[in-house]
Amino acid sequence: MYNGLERIDLDKRLLYVRNIFIFSLSFLVMGLVYFQLVRADEYVELASGNRLRMIRLLPPRGNIYDASGVPLAVNVRTFDIKSYPMDLRSDESFGSVASLFARHGIPMTPDSLKESVEKQYVAPYRAVSVATNLTLAQVSDLVMDPGFSQALFPSPVWRRIYPVGSLMAHVIGYVGEITREDLETQRDPYYQAGDIVGKSGIEAMYEEQLRGAVGDQVVEVDSRGRRLRDVNYNDPLKGSDIRLTIDTATQREAARIMEGKRGALVAMDVSDGAVKAFFSSPAYDPNPLTWGISSKEWSALLGDKNLPMMNRVMSGSYPPGSPFKVVTAAAALMENTADTRTSFFCPGSFQLGNQTFRCWRRSGHGRESLIGALRDSCDVYFYQIGVKVGIDKLTKWARELGVGERTGIDLPGESRGTIAGREWKRSRRKEAWYQGDTVNYSIGQGFLLMTPLQLARMYAAFANDGSLVTPRLNAEKLPEMTPVKITKAHMDSIKTGLREVVRVGTGRVAGRYGVDVAGKTGTAQNPHGEDHAWFVGYAPANDPKYVAAVLVEGGGSGSSVAGPLVGQMLAYLVEHEK
Amino acid sequence: MLAESGYSWGEIRKGLDWSMCVAVLVLFALGLVSIYSAGSGVRRSTSGYAIRQLVWGAVSVMAYVTVLRIGYQNFLRWSYPIYAVAVAMLCVLIAVGTATRGALSWFRFGSVGFQPAEFGKVALILFLARFCSRYPPDAPKRLFSALALSGAMVVLILFQPDLGSALVYGSIIFAMIAAADTPGKYLAGIVTAGVAALPFFWNSLKAYQKLRLVVFLDPYVDPQGAGYNVIQSRIAVGSGGLWGKGFLQGTQGRLHFLPEPHTDFIFSVFAEEFGFVGGLSVMLLFAFLFWRLMRAAFRTKDTRAKLLCVGVSAWLWFQLMESVAMSMGLAPITGLPMPLFSYGGSSLLMEFVGLALVQSVAVSPVRDKLASIA
Repeated sequence: MYNGLERIDLDKRLLYVRNIFIFSLSFLVMGLVYFQLVRADEYVELASGNRLRMIRLLPPRGNIYDASGVPLAVNVRTFDIKSYPMDLRSDESFGSVASLFARHGIPMTPDSLKESVEKQYVAPYRAVSVATNLTLAQVSDLVMDPGFSQALFPSPVWRRIYPVGSLMAHVIGYVGEITREDLETQRDPYYQAGDIVGKSGIEAMYEEQLRGAVGDQVVEVDSRGRRLRDVNYNDPLKGSDIRLTIDTATQREAARIMEGKRGALVAMDVSDGAVKAFFSSPAYDPNPLTWGISSKEWSALLGDKNLPMMNRVMSGSYPPGSPFKVVTAAAALMENTADTRTSFFCPGSFQLGNQTFRCWRRSGHGRESLIGALRDSCDVYFYQIGVKVGIDKLTKWARELGVGERTGIDLPGESRGTIAGREWKRSRRKEAWYQGDTVNYSIGQGFLLMTPLQLARMYAAFANDGSLVTPRLNAEKLPEMTPVKITKAHMDSIKTGLREVVRVGTGRVAGRYGVDVAGKTGTAQNPHGEDHAWFVGYAPANDPKYVAAVLVEGGGSGSSVAGPLVGQMLAYLVEHEK
Repeated sequence: MLAESGYSWGEIRKGLDWSMCVAVLVLFALGLVSIYSAGSGVRRSTSGYAIRQLVWGAVSVMAYVTVLRIGYQNFLRWSYPIYAVAVAMLCVLIAVGTATRGALSWFRFGSVGFQPAEFGKVALILFLARFCSRYPPDAPKRLFSALALSGAMVVLILFQPDLGSALVYGSIIFAMIAAADTPGKYLAGIVTAGVAALPFFWNSLKAYQKLRLVVFLDPYVDPQGAGYNVIQSRIAVGSGGLWGKGFLQGTQGRLHFLPEPHTDFIFSVFAEEFGFVGGLSVMLLFAFLFWRLMRAAFRTKDTRAKLLCVGVSAWLWFQLMESVAMSMGLAPITGLPMPLFSYGGSSLLMEFVGLALVQSVAVSPVRDKLASIA
């Protein structure tokens, strides 16, 4: 048997190890001798003087432009009056500074000043803002006052403004002061309290590109706080600009189309996902949010029953209703459950066990095959093929067409919607999936939820013959396409159906604006109130360039309410194509 | 079996190294004073840290006594399962950390946090003490097994990522393997491999970690951020002078020029207030402590116990060197606690457990006199 280590061998090594442990401490002692004895005077001087002051120089953010160069987010220069906490230590200095500002018409009390300094405090030598957002005139007025303390100094800052106001609110988003939680969780410590960051939209998505780089200045001051010299100076670096795919004129048209309605309109180029219109109605003005809104106004905005802050285009999940029928059709064709000749008789309702599911047309459509069923939006036809295909195959093809996954648009806060299905119902509802659920599912009702953007992307895949494009707002972002495994012939059958919808079917109104549209109407039952009106379509029908989806919350009929809106949008896009 | 039945109060009283206990308690008390001082800043004063540290101290003393009663032999007997538990904890931490997309180094039980990386140090020492004495690393195959098994822990720690702790683990492993009579040429090989891996290591660092290393070389690269901490800490230590500024008189600490004064920069707070005299005393106390820790190693006949003492010493030694050197700007900022000084519950508790294991080794010859012949 092997006996392991010998004790004697070890003791020699242990002696070495012990001596290293003990004698290496003399290096530390040598360090103490050097700093605490040899150079002590120098460091005592530095510590007692506390002569170094630091200022963060914040860069202007990059601008955001629309497709034709119209500025959507820019910066204007304003001024902050800054000081160092260590120079404001005594209560008298709070009093005199507050009265100085009060004399010049800027409301301030010693207590409010003290509170604001406490809030921004990082270290005594790090500058804090005493008053913010002053004009050049105000600053020169203050500086001329003999009471303007040595401890104060003006510093230029950049204020974000959004010239088009609410028009682009859900695209651009807005900026605001970084929150305490964000500060604590940031992984690379770039930000400090009081910094401005993108809170939503493009501003948040491209924060790192837009923010630029902070500069800094370290100055040495004398005992009265006057600057003696710059110890270190790094220029701040302006952030990079961003150009969007969207055009202000088109967006204005979208806003006009959606005026007075609650809902969403999105349009994009079917070949590369470039978003052309993106409007959630009602919108909000982002300008007050960046200036610092009162908590009362903020809660009024959040409490508004029309939810202006909600981005309905990509964060609103709705039952898709009839526009979803293309998924049922694609699944049936691809699984060979039906072909274009397969037909069913629609008596106006469908019987499953003792349950009755109605067609929207109570009198029935008579005998329908695929193209006719799409044209007339015959529910019974899709009930029939949906049940035959089965829920697992339906969700498989729904997933293939982007249901239940984010579109990947370059905006934060996108919703996935709900693809539902057996697994989902078991884990969420603790219930089995019933065939009745499949019936509802096959016409886009029931548990299924989608965003307008997901539907637009799905129809773009039909329009461009088979690719799911990733919607993009940044013009510099490269297009991304994911091929969909649906054969060309089947795609064409469905597209024929979609053309018929506008030519002679439920979506005729959409075709009255001078451009040939193909698409699908939808009147989706809404468990919370009036039906939602949908229309999703693309144009020109024979060589599609643009896709557009419109949802009007509680709008009622898809064919008469949403159809014309998509028709107008597509007509505008085709007419104004460069 | 007698050796695994734990120690009676009588045995402990007879064999206890009292001077080691005194040194530990004095160092802890000095740390507590510094934590109190670090907390009593101008306009932002709190004795909360000091009080909590005192409570942790009491818990740690109880743990110390418990470990002593159980005896190091029983810990060694369970060292493999203990090591497995430590590895599992680190895996869970990484999995949870990945799921929440944040770096996690804590398990939280209500308001009490627990750092598996600290527990892992004790687990690693126990494991290597047993493994290396059963399979001495004098042949490449056995050396490789020891390195691979203990290196797993280092890799997990690096995944967290906790660079500082990984360095502590590395020095523990190296010291124990060196002490276990590994031939000199193999040790040289390990060092060479380590140096060769440096460029890869640099590339794997996060941006902020690189910044810390760069500002260590030149604090004025980033005088506002990481570099400023180094400058301010050096000012704190240097301005302490020979006698220091006196208790609660340190301006650097109390005016918040020092970041994290109660943890990372605790020695700077101490050195500013108690000067060179205070700093030198602490160094001498630690030197004394290391001498007593190693004295236990010489006096035991159990090779596992010898390695155990080396491991605990190497752990405390590395953290001491790093944190004191860092406070003078002579080592990069790693956020490692200074042993017995820095505020922090799990680190203090685990240090006491480690010290208790060595104390248990010191007590053991009492029984060896009776049992060794058998």
